[in-house]
Amino acid sequence: MKSISGKVRYALTFLFVILAANLLLAQKVREPQTNPGERMVPNGDGSAVVVPVPEEEAGPVGLAVVTGNGINYNGGPVLKSSSVPIYLIWYGNWNGTGSNTQATVTLVEHYLNSLGGTPYELINSTYGDTTGNVSGGVHVGGAIFDTGSQGTRLTNSRLTSIVTRSLSNGLPTDANGVYMVLTSSNVSEQGFCTSFCGFHTHQTINSTDIKWGFVGNPDRCPSGCEIQTTGPNSPSANVGGADGLINVLTHEQEEAISDPDLNAWFDSSGQENADKCNFNFGTTSTCAAGSLCTAAGNTARAKFNQTFGTNDWMIQQNWENAAGGKCVQHK
Amino acid sequence: MTGRFLPRLLLTVLIATIFAAAQEPVQPRLTPRISTATRQVGIFTALEQQIVLAIQKKAPAALSSLLADDFAIEEPNADPIAGQDWVQQVTGKDYALKSLIIRNMSVADLGDAAVVKYERIQQATFQGKASSGEFFVVDLWRKDGDSWKLANRYVARVAGPLPASSRQPKPTGKE
Repeated sequence: MKSISGKVRYALTFLFVILAANLLLAQKVREPQTNPGERMVPNGDGSAVVVPVPEEEAGPVGLAVVTGNGINYNGGPVLKSSSVPIYLIWYGNWNGTGSNTQATVTLVEHYLNSLGGTPYELINSTYGDTTGNVSGGVHVGGAIFDTGSQGTRLTNSRLTSIVTRSLSNGLPTDANGVYMVLTSSNVSEQGFCTSFCGFHTHQTINSTDIKWGFVGNPDRCPSGCEIQTTGPNSPSANVGGADGLINVLTHEQEEAISDPDLNAWFDSSGQENADKCNFNFGTTSTCAAGSLCTAAGNTARAKFNQTFGTNDWMIQQNWENAAGGKCVQHK
Repeated sequence: MTGRFLPRLLLTVLIATIFAAAQEPVQPRLTPRISTATRQVGIFTALEQQIVLAIQKKAPAALSSLLADDFAIEEPNADPIAGQDWVQQVTGKDYALKSLIIRNMSVADLGDAAVVKYERIQQATFQGKASSGEFFVVDLWRKDGDSWKLANRYVARVAGPLPASSRQPKPTGKE
């Protein structure tokens, strides 16, 4: 009798331990709640991240941090290389028609290699962290083609696979660079065109904090992601994809450099510097004979607001973190 | 041997069953990201904000100017509410909209019409009782000349009233 009682006690104890462990393992992560001194940061996927609320109007808070200009420093790093490498992952069919061509590939790479150090890109140098400022230098660090390893209907996880695959297929693993997945117009991505034109994020890949983003060819939805259907660099009428893509790419690289880990620079409503000037182009000029626009751009009297690298460009303004803060075209 | 095996087998099956039943489907962790809103998201966010402002300012004329003549609002398990009835209700003294957050908006641009979907978190009272909660909203907007008019709204509650003490996340502007 004593022996049976011992077995039962052993079995009950065993069962209790298993159930207790099961109960603990089955718990969901608690939804974040904001407390005093914290705020919610959107992540674009319907949930939010809680971060400390910075002191607004606090003036300089670190070596290279200036606040009080309508955008707040939240403690994270910025990318401070003298020239930040932008790695391009051309996904889909870039040997097609319209703007899905090698001409677009060449134009975008020429644009990025011309952008670094311009008065426009130097707007980003008004952002810094406690050890230094953004330089305003950028260049194409490398480029790779993926003709469709993840199909033409992309998801978040498939985009991660595309970035991971690019690191195995030739691009360096660089924590100080920005990787941009650029998709041809036959490729869809959850939310692209209906909710967003591009995004940036960061993720640990190959044990490295990789900053990456997505920009789709806006010829998939000109009314949503292009300011004009024929741009200053359009090869023909109503083929504005390259100019539209360059505009969104500009937006994403500015943010990926000034807020690479989503914990550096954004305002009290969660907007990063380029968000505050989204589709805000400021003063524009009109393409005409004698301009650097293409013939199609001249015929359509396309608008542009920047000239550098032997081309005219139509790119949104950026938020200057100085003099009270405002959308500007030049530092 | 059989005498010991059967109870042990039953115990193992029982534990495995309880363990399996207690688990929720594992969702892959989504990567946080910050998006560049489309032009339409910017346009319709501004229009939705005008509606919210008109309600908060108790401005029936301003609210009506944003609605199509045949506007109706529909909810599950309830009769549709005609436009002017809704305008009177939400701009009347019985209704108070304290805060409203719009997030995760997407817009399907159909030319002369647009289907706008979003999540709404509101804190409100109606006749002194809490009318707060989280809602999934589908708005059908129609082009009217150079402007847009709200033609239909479909609303479904996805989470119940929030406790009076709960804090609302701040609006982000690109949700």
